[in-house]
Amino acid sequence: MACRIINKRRHVGLQQLSSFAETGRAFLGPVKSSKFITDEGCHKSVLVSSTVRLLESLDTTSAVGQLLNEAVQAQNDTYRTGATTLLFLAGAWSRAVEECLHLGVPIPIIVSVMSEGLNSCSEEVVSLQVPVHNIFDHMDSTEAVSGLETVSGSSLPQDLSEAISVPEKQDLKDDVPQLATYSLSEKPGKSPKFFKPQATVEAGKNTSQTLKNLHTDTCFRKSVLIHSRHFKRTDNNQGICTPNRFLEQCGAATFQTYGCRDLVELAVGLSHGDGSSMQLVEAAVRLQYQNACMQPGSRAAPFMFDISRLFTFCLPGLPETFSCVCPGYITLVSISSAAMIQELQNRPIRVVLIEGDLTESYRHLGFNKSTHIKTVLDGVKLQEDSSEELWANHVLQLLIKFSVNLILVEGNVSEHLIEKCRHRNQLIIGSVNGRVMQTFAEATGAVQVAYITQVNEDCVGSGVSVTFWRNPLDDLDRSNRMAILLKTEGISMITAVLTSPVRAQMQTKEDRFWTCAYRVHHALKEEKVFLGGSAVEFLCLSHLHILAEQPLQKGDHACLGRLHDTSSWLASSLASYRPTVLKCLADGWHRYLSALLCNTATYSSELEASTFVQHHVQNAVDSGCPSAYILKEYNKLNSGIFNLGISNKPEQIPRVYDVVTPKIEAWRRALDLVLLVLQTDTEIITGLGHTQINSQKLEGCLFL
Amino acid sequence: MMSCLEAKKPSLCHREPLTAEKVRTTLAVLKGVLTSCYGPFGRLKQLHNGVGGSVCTTSQSAVLLRNLSVTHPVLKVLIASVQNHVSCFSDCGLFTAILCCNLIENVQKTNLATATAIKLNKRLLNFCTNYLRSESCGCRIPVDFSSTQILLCLVRSVLTSKPACMLTRKEVDHISTLILRAFLFTIPESTKNPIILGKSIIISLKGPRVTDSTVLPGVLIEIPEIQLMKTLPVRKSSALKVALFSTSLSGDFSDPGEGSVVVSYRVSLENAVLDQLINLGRQLVSDHVDLVLCQKVMHPSLKRFLRTHHIIAIDRVGVTPIEPLSKATGAQPIGSLGPVSPSSYGSVKDWHSAQFGCKHFFHLIPNEAPVCTLLLCNRNDTVADELKLACQTALHVLQLTVKEPWVLLGGGCTETHLAACIRHTTHKEPGNILQGEGCTQAELQLIAEAFCSALESLAGSLEHDGGEILTDMKHGHFWSMQD
Repeated sequence: MACRIINKRRHVGLQQLSSFAETGRAFLGPVKSSKFITDEGCHKSVLVSSTVRLLESLDTTSAVGQLLNEAVQAQNDTYRTGATTLLFLAGAWSRAVEECLHLGVPIPIIVSVMSEGLNSCSEEVVSLQVPVHNIFDHMDSTEAVSGLETVSGSSLPQDLSEAISVPEKQDLKDDVPQLATYSLSEKPGKSPKFFKPQATVEAGKNTSQTLKNLHTDTCFRKSVLIHSRHFKRTDNNQGICTPNRFLEQCGAATFQTYGCRDLVELAVGLSHGDGSSMQLVEAAVRLQYQNACMQPGSRAAPFMFDISRLFTFCLPGLPETFSCVCPGYITLVSISSAAMIQELQNRPIRVVLIEGDLTESYRHLGFNKSTHIKTVLDGVKLQEDSSEELWANHVLQLLIKFSVNLILVEGNVSEHLIEKCRHRNQLIIGSVNGRVMQTFAEATGAVQVAYITQVNEDCVGSGVSVTFWRNPLDDLDRSNRMAILLKTEGISMITAVLTSPVRAQMQTKEDRFWTCAYRVHHALKEEKVFLGGSAVEFLCLSHLHILAEQPLQKGDHACLGRLHDTSSWLASSLASYRPTVLKCLADGWHRYLSALLCNTATYSSELEASTFVQHHVQNAVDSGCPSAYILKEYNKLNSGIFNLGISNKPEQIPRVYDVVTPKIEAWRRALDLVLLVLQTDTEIITGLGHTQINSQKLEGCLFL
Repeated sequence: MMSCLEAKKPSLCHREPLTAEKVRTTLAVLKGVLTSCYGPFGRLKQLHNGVGGSVCTTSQSAVLLRNLSVTHPVLKVLIASVQNHVSCFSDCGLFTAILCCNLIENVQKTNLATATAIKLNKRLLNFCTNYLRSESCGCRIPVDFSSTQILLCLVRSVLTSKPACMLTRKEVDHISTLILRAFLFTIPESTKNPIILGKSIIISLKGPRVTDSTVLPGVLIEIPEIQLMKTLPVRKSSALKVALFSTSLSGDFSDPGEGSVVVSYRVSLENAVLDQLINLGRQLVSDHVDLVLCQKVMHPSLKRFLRTHHIIAIDRVGVTPIEPLSKATGAQPIGSLGPVSPSSYGSVKDWHSAQFGCKHFFHLIPNEAPVCTLLLCNRNDTVADELKLACQTALHVLQLTVKEPWVLLGGGCTETHLAACIRHTTHKEPGNILQGEGCTQAELQLIAEAFCSALESLAGSLEHDGGEILTDMKHGHFWSMQD
């Protein structure tokens, strides 16, 4: 066993952390650059464009690397967003902490002041929260639902027409503000007509009037709502945009912010440069809402976006225009089943759900097969068929007895059985996700069983319809499989079909879709969002500068942070070190903002970006109330700091939003990681004999 | 058979192993590692196997000592005895280990005969324990169970001495309150003698914020979401009858060991066992059981059978909750598939399904049994493990106060005070300590000095950032200063 002192002169752990973090810099902000990671050993390479995938591919076996990986994974598992923020800030703050160490600040003081500083920031940014309320109040469901019913009431569609398709993303720079980016049906006349074309004139008029207003973009949003005839009933302006007064403590200038009350606005604001994924998410939310409205008793409970009922289905090779969301479950089956699907469609079929494998030898989990059992034949003539054949026949009899035509299996399925069933128009689908099974169980009344022999009349579900997702011969993939769609009346499950002509991008596309979906999920769940475009980070930066200037109040326990023991000399010398540490913490955010501006290509060099940030921070601090300054700048059309890379046409500036808790949690996790590494002074390598560690690593080791 | 003959190596005898240079250096390294971990500002250690195994960041002796693999017998003895202390009391592992190292080091410097040194150290230890237990002791405070102040302080000092928990002041307050509440839950309401404390289970939950942690009466059993949805929402106003199985109900047959079982064709052992299980199920139904909990796996057919008879069946509970479940419900764990004795059944007041973070739980609420669950949330595994251990320690410490309702002053006070006391007594009344043991006063002075400086340097170990420790020799007070 050996132990190694890791902070003799410079803290090795912090250095490792900041160099790891450097690799993720390109993923910060809405403009992301992908990376190729090449394995020099086998010359394989992968294309990554997110922090999580990057860390999956990097060698993070060092202790610090593992801690970083653990922190990023934990953030991703919990929120599915914020990993890049975490990675970058972990790097920026480890540099800041190194700076503090260099200046001779005692470690407990760094730990205490930094965590206090971050706490204070988290409280401060509450002022930039925007409430997300009653998003669905303005979405009158009846019309949409009847539109949908018209479609599904007709004969079962053969192609995309039932699915809500998303046409190519409308560029934000187009002249007409586009809300009608999706339609419920491609068939003319059956469209639910969310938006009346003649409303455009009205909107234009409104815009010109409200342009003089400081809150141009917000009010324009409101006028956009008028496009929909469902929103027209709200004639008075206050009906949709209720000013939410705050920041009145800032004295002279009282600013107003408006709640986000429109799904489109929310979705665009949270898309962070990925409009096409977000449009799919938005369509999925709408679809789920309409579905919820159709359920009996839906009026009683408020609608909640249930992300567990959302699934993705990736189809590489197809052009991006084929991406869409559909109610139901989409999966691939062998092309040889085409005739069977043809036969089965247009009629409701009965379904059985199997929890385990559908093979003869399968036994439920936890069952130990004894190996010491011998079967003897006492004079009985053995049947010619093998046990597999017997079993398959038994299964077939059962399926015929209960007239079942569809079996969904969570595990593997015997090929032999699939083959046998195909001739009898019985479709078996294996490797079905557990949540999909659950949804089908709810929608069809089927009960999941472990063994097919358990099936009785009560276990069989009914009312499933099966169709080709598209014309089967159009899009065969290399493995000769085709996509089919399974659904029932009122199924709450939604599948997003993601297509990409470039196979290597499929993973990225799926990741981005989920990131967008989770952002919307968190925003709707929390009923609040932050003003985005790095407004919160900028507020933190300015706030810390102000905090550093303020003298420490006597007896102010909040300032002690993690310094629980007030009798120590550390508590008394806290005041002298505090401004230095807070400034170092602020430097982390400064680096973050500069990198962000650099990535969006607004500034050619980091230095230029840094100067620009510095200029604005000075202004904000001088103004005395940074949050008011930020709101003012935010609403200014070409301030350049919060409206990155967007044209200067006022009517096309969408608001940018950020999710609240995932963001704050990412900060906290990043700082916790840095402080954990900072407080570590020794690396203890356990369980190895001295000889097994190579001599190069042995340098500076002590042995026990 | 031929036996292998090898020339026997002569046994090596080392005299006074502690004087060996190698032992001294390794002891110094060990002391360095442990001392740097000590106290609220202690430094953390990263433990890992150097080839990509999981990393553990800690400053707690229980984890450190478990992972240290030392070679020398002297260090093995030392570590084993400290581990023994930790397993008995949970707390003060580092204190014990550092004091050991200090004493060995200091006593060696005195060059006294080992026997004398041992005798005198024992005397001094006796003096210390007697003094700390006496009424005149100046550094102990009685625990006042009528208010929460001292108990909360005690818990808080346990938590804050573990910096790897990464708790802010607010979070420390929150967790301290929860621990105290969990402790109070385990105190039975009836005052029968002897009072047996109940059980508190700690469940660690990765993901949510620390402030989302909570304490609940009863037992939480984690179950997969899908299974929970399937359990029937049958609610009864009266208490629910519970059967608790510790045996597997998966339908596999007992292992024949070396031999093999011969069965004739067309006899299915699986079906035979399944029939037995269904018979068991029938008995449960006729006995009006409402809830069946199984430590291991339950056969899907049995599960379905029970569910069709409106019995909630939960399997794969695991071994840890079995004892608390038995305590909470009064049910005896059933270990066979034979007929169930009615006395094995227990009962619970009610059940709920609960969701914390992304996990689903089955929450059993007992009638009045003092069982509770402390649900600890934390951001990631590293910190969660550390916090769980710290909370276990704090709960144990609280339980110990029931036995001995006194606490000692922390932050190095007690050590400094004791050292001052010993110095005073050896100067003024050496006879009190010597008690005619045949040691000279000079020897006592030497050993007392070694002992006291071991205590004082232990108090000084709380400082890690270049501060200075000032001690008032007369009154035994202790300050930390910046130099």
